[in-house]
Amino acid sequence: MMKVNNKPVINEIALTTYKANKKRNLLIIFAISLSTFLIASIISIGTSYWKTTMERQLYTSGMDYDIALTEPEDAQIKKARSIEEIKYAGLLVKCAVIEKYKQKMLDKTRLYWADNTCFDKMVLPALETFTGSYPEKENEILLSSRTLENMGIKKPYKGMGLKLSYYTLEEGTDEEILEREFTLCGWYTDYTGKSKGYISEKFYKKSNVKPTDFTQGSLKIKLKQPLYTEKDILALQNTLSLSNRQIIEADADIISYFIKITAGLAGILFMVFASSYLFIYNTLYISVSKDIRYYGQLKTIGMTSVQLKRLINRQACWNALAGIPTGLAVAIILSKIIIPEVIGIIDYSFNKNNTVPVNIWTFLIAGIFAMAVNKASSHKPARIAAGCSPVEALNYTGISVKQKYRKRESTSIFSMAMQNIFRNKKQAFIIFLSFVTAISVYLCTSIYIRANDAKYILNEVLDYDIRFQNETTLEEEKPLFTKEKIKQLENLPGIKSVRTVSSKEVVIPYQEETFGKYFKELYSTRYFPSKSYKSDMEEYKKNPENGFFTSRFIGIDEAGFECLNKSVGNILDKNDFEAGKTTVTIRTFTEGDSGMTGKTVNFRLPGGLNPEKEYSIKIAAVASQNSNPAFFAGGIAPEMIVSEKFAEKLLGKTYIEAVMAEYKEPYNKETEKTAISVFDGINEISNESRLRNYNEMKTTENKTKVLGNSISIIMAILAIFNYLDMMASNVHSRSNEIATLESIGMTSKQVKRMLGTEGLGYSFISVIVSLAAGIPLSYAVFNAINLYAGVYYSIPWGRNIAFFVIITTICVAAPIIVYQKTQNQNLTSRMGENF
Amino acid sequence: MDILETRNLKKYYKTGNNGIVVKALDGIDLSIKKGEFLSITGTSGSGKTTLLHMLGGLDTPTSGSIYVDGKDISNMDKDELAIFRRRKIGFVFQNYNLLPLMNVYENIVLPVRLDGIRPDKIFVDKIINSLGLTDKKYSMPCQLSGGQQQRVALARALAAKPSIILADEPTGNLDSRTSLDVLGLIKTCAAQFSQTIAMITHNEEIAQMAGRIIRLEDGRIYGGGRTYDESK
Repeated sequence: MMKVNNKPVINEIALTTYKANKKRNLLIIFAISLSTFLIASIISIGTSYWKTTMERQLYTSGMDYDIALTEPEDAQIKKARSIEEIKYAGLLVKCAVIEKYKQKMLDKTRLYWADNTCFDKMVLPALETFTGSYPEKENEILLSSRTLENMGIKKPYKGMGLKLSYYTLEEGTDEEILEREFTLCGWYTDYTGKSKGYISEKFYKKSNVKPTDFTQGSLKIKLKQPLYTEKDILALQNTLSLSNRQIIEADADIISYFIKITAGLAGILFMVFASSYLFIYNTLYISVSKDIRYYGQLKTIGMTSVQLKRLINRQACWNALAGIPTGLAVAIILSKIIIPEVIGIIDYSFNKNNTVPVNIWTFLIAGIFAMAVNKASSHKPARIAAGCSPVEALNYTGISVKQKYRKRESTSIFSMAMQNIFRNKKQAFIIFLSFVTAISVYLCTSIYIRANDAKYILNEVLDYDIRFQNETTLEEEKPLFTKEKIKQLENLPGIKSVRTVSSKEVVIPYQEETFGKYFKELYSTRYFPSKSYKSDMEEYKKNPENGFFTSRFIGIDEAGFECLNKSVGNILDKNDFEAGKTTVTIRTFTEGDSGMTGKTVNFRLPGGLNPEKEYSIKIAAVASQNSNPAFFAGGIAPEMIVSEKFAEKLLGKTYIEAVMAEYKEPYNKETEKTAISVFDGINEISNESRLRNYNEMKTTENKTKVLGNSISIIMAILAIFNYLDMMASNVHSRSNEIATLESIGMTSKQVKRMLGTEGLGYSFISVIVSLAAGIPLSYAVFNAINLYAGVYYSIPWGRNIAFFVIITTICVAAPIIVYQKTQNQNLTSRMGENF
Repeated sequence: MDILETRNLKKYYKTGNNGIVVKALDGIDLSIKKGEFLSITGTSGSGKTTLLHMLGGLDTPTSGSIYVDGKDISNMDKDELAIFRRRKIGFVFQNYNLLPLMNVYENIVLPVRLDGIRPDKIFVDKIINSLGLTDKKYSMPCQLSGGQQQRVALARALAAKPSIILADEPTGNLDSRTSLDVLGLIKTCAAQFSQTIAMITHNEEIAQMAGRIIRLEDGRIYGGGRTYDESK
């Protein structure tokens, strides 16, 4: 058989057809370049976004490690470092606590010693900025920016002398205050919000604190394989032969978390690829169906199906060659120029380099994928064209009805619209899929962004703008918060409200009925040696005034009550609480209420009006330490929170431990400055504010927001273009039918209403399905990423509703506009009738 | 009394880029009396379908006027024409033009429903019965034969009780026996509901069943028709 050389003629016809359909081909090129752009930018921006948020989580945790062994012994450290599965292990020991700088009281500033492995490989990667070096000499000290700020040092420098009062954490000593002139050898910033620092090995050795001292030493371990099971941890526990109180701190859910995240990302990536595929497929499909009569003619005059397929594929190839490089170029421009510029506009101090690293592989993958999609999506339309007989081609509408019989008599516009939505199930599925994907991704991203939003986190975690703390509370009890000072604070123009928290020592005689279960549970935690339970309780019964057993009697005002009530699930009766009929107790280290709720607690107030009198009050609820507005703790008995009025009644004059203020305009620098100035010169008052925390977190904040929002917007664009494409194809394929409807008397208004209702249906169903799928998904995402106690899952409804409205508007308007723009010929030509 | 009347009706098209003007209708003067059954014949491309579309308000003339029940429809906008069609005109197309997603009943009552009126069930059932579609009331169009589909199209044309039925080769796709059945039904129904019929046909035998025949050539009436002046 001789080979027929028909390539030139196929090329010629392909070229002629291609040139004749310039507008349509431009649209296809646009679709291909848009899809390529979307894939490339989703991959590159997504990777960058992921990296930024992970970086931020690392800064927030303050150290890069997988698991930790508490109170490690030398042999265990050596053993751990020889274990094959362990990449490296670094030792961290808490040695001392700074009390004062000059005359300024500091808020529990802990000093650590980290060995080389720990500092270089675990601490350094988790610091946002680091200046100087690790302490080498005994008097050298490395401090966090937060600590320097608390000391009132605005411009630190290397070699700066710091006269500090501190005590070491050597076991058995009684926190003896020492003084020493330290030399600042460096400073750093992380997002832990903790005031801390590092000291040299020499200092550590002299402090006599041992890694095995309870809660002081910790061996931080980085595993070669960061995904581990409970079985792995148990095996490690056996290898390291843990003693009684030692534990390995590990996350039991790490594998399920990894699977969830991977599945989520794979799902999003699949949806992006699927949407891109459908977008190109639809555009080509419309193009082929418009030309199907022409292809029928070509077949009539003898063109074979193979030749026809070749002709269509050739045109698709030309479109791809034009569209893919364009899409990649735009993606590079967006990643490399536009996004860094946008972040730069928002935050002028931002370093624009490498915001979104342009990785050649990302773009190569996107290019190859777009090419493959283009090839795959041109396959089916080419097959349709090739498979259609010439006669079929002349009457091709793309509609097939499989239903034979339907006992229904409804012809309202609404029912027609509903029928039309599901007339082409595959098309409806594709539209819903791309919308559901986009809306769900948008919902998840918005929640992810909110969960990473510094202001949102701070608003949830701190229920005040600034908090002033009296550092003398447990010892000298200086009355630093005078009525005048509080009044002065309240009268500042930027202050919205001021709250106070008072506290005083309370003696709670041993009460088996009320606290028996709680103490048993407390002593079963690793923080209390279970063997001393009996002797301690015996001592407690005999001597409840011992500081080890006493607690704090905390008074809160009405605003404080609202916060407390919210944290316990709004179960408190305000009147009972205010009248002193009920109290809320605070548990430490235990879970649940240990049977305290509803029981009565008897107590005495040594500093009260009747020091010997025993009062009793009912426990209305048990809350965790997170709900405790007071800072200072007492002994092992649970703290009691009562109303300030009740506290005043029993104590006469209450002792104010802390003052919290809310600003009229949160995060206002001026208000903060004036608020701090009220207590200027009082060194024993420390403060903590949202603004200070925010300043530390905001560098990555803007980057996270812009990148996250870019992904949402790109996903939305993809869904919207897909929908526009589908609707254009839909209206086009129904052109004859719509003309028939008009011929029997349907007005254009009625047609528009029908099409608009269809769009509304698409949007309504998509939003409902997306919420049903997206809320559980976003909940899982939130739980996986949330690092802060006190930040609860919530949906940013404002932006999501705005997004739903935009989607709905486009859904309703698009088919109407397509109808107006494409169905403007006269009825007779649309009906395919010839004169 | 004339129910339909055209005065110097013209429809010109420009074709291609060379600007050649095709005169689909070139000065048609025609009047049709109420209850009359008119056949329109002519060769392919003579302008029959264009004329029918003009009479039914599916297309707008280049110039001239069309009066239906004394009202000029040539200046109506798209929506006015749509309302006019559903109230006054019943169309029967050669290709039936049934809506594929609706069953027989829904297709039939659609023009009435579009007018916001509840269909007269007794009347619709009467039409369905008289057209022999009772068994097919809830079938989908794709399940029907050509003759059955054409009967559904006829039922749809009659359902809104229009005063005029315009049929474009209603028997074009049917065999001769079914053609005669359908035509008989059109005549019977029209007589029963006092309707006027204008029907395009190529078939001389079928054309002869009408009360009057007009012949079109090159967009002009060449026989059987009365011009506007003659009708005076």
